[in-house]
Amino acid sequence: MGCSSSLPDRNSGRLSGLNSENSGATDAKNLRVKLVLLGDSGVGKSCIVLRFVRGQFDPTSKVTIGASFLSQTIALQDSTTVKFEIWDTAGQERYAALAPLYYRGASVAVVVYDITSPESFQKAQYWVKELQKHGSPDMVMALVGNKADLLENREVSDQDGMEYAEKNRMFFIETSAKTADNINQLFEEIAKRLPRPASS
Amino acid sequence: MTEKKAFHLLQVLEPRRDAYGFALRPQHVQRYREYSNIYKEEEEERSDKWRVFLEQQSESGNLPSLEEEKKEKQPTEVSEQKSNTSPKSVGEGDDTSVEPTTDSSAEGNFEKEVESTKELKARKVQKWANIRPVLGAIENMMSFRVKKIKKMEDERQTLRDGQLPPVEETGPSGGTSEDDNEEEIIVDKVSNGSGKSSTEEVISTKEAPPKSFFSWKEELECLVRGGLPKDLRGELWQAFVGVRTRRMERYYQDLLALEGDSGGGELVDEPSGASKKWRKQIEKDIPRTFPGHPALDEHGRNSLRRLLLAYARHNPSVGYCQAMNFFAGLLLLLMPEENAFWTLVGIIEEYFEGYFTEEMIESQVDQLVFEELMRERFPKLVNHLDYLGVQVAWISGPWFLSIFINMIPWESVLRVWDVILFEGNRVMLFRTALALMELYGPAIVTTKDAGDAITLLQSLAGSTFDSSQLVLTACMGFLAVTEARLQELQEKHRPAVLEVIEERTRKGRVFKDSKGLASKLYSFKHDPEPLIEEKLHKAESEDTPVDADRSHSSNLEEFLAGDDSEVDSVPDLQEQVVWLKVELCTLLEEKRSAVLRAEELETALMELVKQDNRLQLSARVEQLEREVAELRQALADKREQEAQMIQVLMRVEQEQKLTEDARISAEHDLAAQKYAVHVLQEKYEKAMASLGQMEKRVVMAESMLEATLQYESGQNKALSSPRAAVARNQGSSQETPPKRLSILSRPFGLGWRDRNKGKPDEPGSGHSSPLPKETSGQEPEH
Repeated sequence: MGCSSSLPDRNSGRLSGLNSENSGATDAKNLRVKLVLLGDSGVGKSCIVLRFVRGQFDPTSKVTIGASFLSQTIALQDSTTVKFEIWDTAGQERYAALAPLYYRGASVAVVVYDITSPESFQKAQYWVKELQKHGSPDMVMALVGNKADLLENREVSDQDGMEYAEKNRMFFIETSAKTADNINQLFEEIAKRLPRPASS
Repeated sequence: MTEKKAFHLLQVLEPRRDAYGFALRPQHVQRYREYSNIYKEEEEERSDKWRVFLEQQSESGNLPSLEEEKKEKQPTEVSEQKSNTSPKSVGEGDDTSVEPTTDSSAEGNFEKEVESTKELKARKVQKWANIRPVLGAIENMMSFRVKKIKKMEDERQTLRDGQLPPVEETGPSGGTSEDDNEEEIIVDKVSNGSGKSSTEEVISTKEAPPKSFFSWKEELECLVRGGLPKDLRGELWQAFVGVRTRRMERYYQDLLALEGDSGGGELVDEPSGASKKWRKQIEKDIPRTFPGHPALDEHGRNSLRRLLLAYARHNPSVGYCQAMNFFAGLLLLLMPEENAFWTLVGIIEEYFEGYFTEEMIESQVDQLVFEELMRERFPKLVNHLDYLGVQVAWISGPWFLSIFINMIPWESVLRVWDVILFEGNRVMLFRTALALMELYGPAIVTTKDAGDAITLLQSLAGSTFDSSQLVLTACMGFLAVTEARLQELQEKHRPAVLEVIEERTRKGRVFKDSKGLASKLYSFKHDPEPLIEEKLHKAESEDTPVDADRSHSSNLEEFLAGDDSEVDSVPDLQEQVVWLKVELCTLLEEKRSAVLRAEELETALMELVKQDNRLQLSARVEQLEREVAELRQALADKREQEAQMIQVLMRVEQEQKLTEDARISAEHDLAAQKYAVHVLQEKYEKAMASLGQMEKRVVMAESMLEATLQYESGQNKALSSPRAAVARNQGSSQETPPKRLSILSRPFGLGWRDRNKGKPDEPGSGHSSPLPKETSGQEPEH
């Protein structure tokens, strides 16, 4: 194949992506999902994950280098369980060079921005475009406005977020890792939107 | 120093931090406690060893002073960054007499620029300490050691056209024009440097005592692998990295002074946008660097901020990259601020050259290299990871980028750093990662899904408290992983990484194409600095689209600048050449993007075909599903019938039961009746028996009666003749009648009568008359 020689990296990634898509859903009742968090530095990606997985909030969490991994299983009302394998990526711009490593083969991408920072909203849009270009086409995408507890400092209206999400067929929610507001809802909503394997 | 004291104090109060003041994860507190004694013992042992070693060294005599002078080549390398053409010796803490003069001349430019502010700042910062005060012997030995590293470095450097990683990296991929440009700038320096180093090598080979050197080196290597004593670590690290030879007097202070001026802006070397970006990022990251560490109080954080800003300013091709905050933080815990700065310079620019630049090329290359080594060494493990859909780089990437900080326990981090800094390359980085895989691979192979595998490896790595085992495994277990081998593999994999980056860049450029030319033209006229900046700093990397564009423009500018200073005769032609080049570039870009689009379409087609297959498959699946449904329906019907049958059967059975019951009760009745019959029979028999007895008695009675009668008649006869007989007969005949009556009154009188039926005279007529008859009749019988 012509493309495999020119893009060895990408190509193998796609293969492994298919792989994990296949193995991603072990059966109709127990889903396994690779989820990647993307977004500007300091918008609270790690905090969202920590809140979701451990129920904790640490206002002085560490800088994430490269990426870090955590997993969490939730049960839905229809008695299916979803195991999220969460890759929390580094936020600094140059680490974007490594991001494909993590979002390749992911079936969910959560793009996070900080509602007090228009710049981070810009960055979120960059990520959405990047994912549309290079992510797997049936990826479930969520746009998350974090730090919703800092209402008085809000600079990105929820209207803007919602409109952008709608335009790009994403699921939109505003969360606060600090107060735990909407964090579980975020993941539950994602779980509901996952394509279910045909029950046979 | 004050920081150190402070955190030692705090550490006593705070049990959840290790001996270095770093936070321990709650799940590791127990294990840390177990190991802290081992650490203590190891520490004692190694400080003894080092003391002995150092004493020996100092006894064996100081190395020739010529060694010191060899440092002079160092400055060339460092000064290149400042674009100072004259290589000056770095005297800084050194005692060589020549230094002061050279220093002043070399830094003249800078001093002019920031003279006034510098003095103040310098006093404020003042955070430089020589290694020397600790031990004269260490000093000498280390300076010798530094020279050795430095020499090798220089050799490398001559091959490399100076200390500019990006140039070499972008060479194969990047545009041609930039390269030419770069070379022009560097040429003279290269010649300088190479000439110098070669002569120095000659000197050093003459001068260095080979025998003692090798034994010395081996011994030192052994000691380093055993770990550095805590109190010497900071200084030894500096010595390994060659801080003293790197250092330029006042350079750091100048950088800080620029920092203070940055509002004014004219001295800010990097584009203000970038510096703003870095500053912002650094601000964000400072509180997130070892949060809560006792030494990183406000004072410590200020140090960290200064250090990172100074570095960003010093090397714009790297600027600030997340992870450097941790390195800087760690260094600040072990040494004064300026020493930390120069150590950081050494680590980032030499050991991890090209790692933390905008495109992070080398770090990506290293991941491919590591994966290949993994496949070579642990095929089974990698197969398993492949099967689970886990890429090795997901896990090893963060290890490499953070140099294991926050990935393994601190004691282990420091031990690994000891070796890395000593060896002066990334071999130990690979070896340590391989050692971790060797230690934990067997456990990983047992996992069943990707999440579990990654989680397990993360947590196992996080509990690698046995630092000696780790370092030993790393150093002894992977001797085949050498620098040469790594370089070979890096060369092999670099093109793939560059290709991907280039492709992305191209895409970005195509996207921006419309404004490309305009912005270039604009930058022509409005941006005179970049050229100067480039000369000053020997150009930053061109790996990013932005940088590439900028260097494009600066390329043009150089022409312009040159024209300005010289004549206006050539510009048209030159400009045309430039335009053509630009044109050519855009055409090439377009071609590439067309090729890419073709490829994309191809893959899209493939996907369509695949989807087609999917449609067919899904149709088939549907059909099968329908069949299954039908079969299920049939099955259900059958089941229903079965149920009905069962019901009928049940009913029949019930009836059967009823009849059976009836039968049983009838039988019971029968038995009862039989019993009754039996009882009756018995009674009857008894009755018959008693009747029999009665009859017998009657017979007896009769016979008795007869006998009596006969006797009577006999008496009568006797009486009729003799008188006495008559009298007696009279009497007895009177008695007899009552007897007869009594017998007749009995119930069985009948029987008696029946028996007597046959007797003609007996019934009917009264007793008196028949009796006489009988007697009359009987008389003849007798």
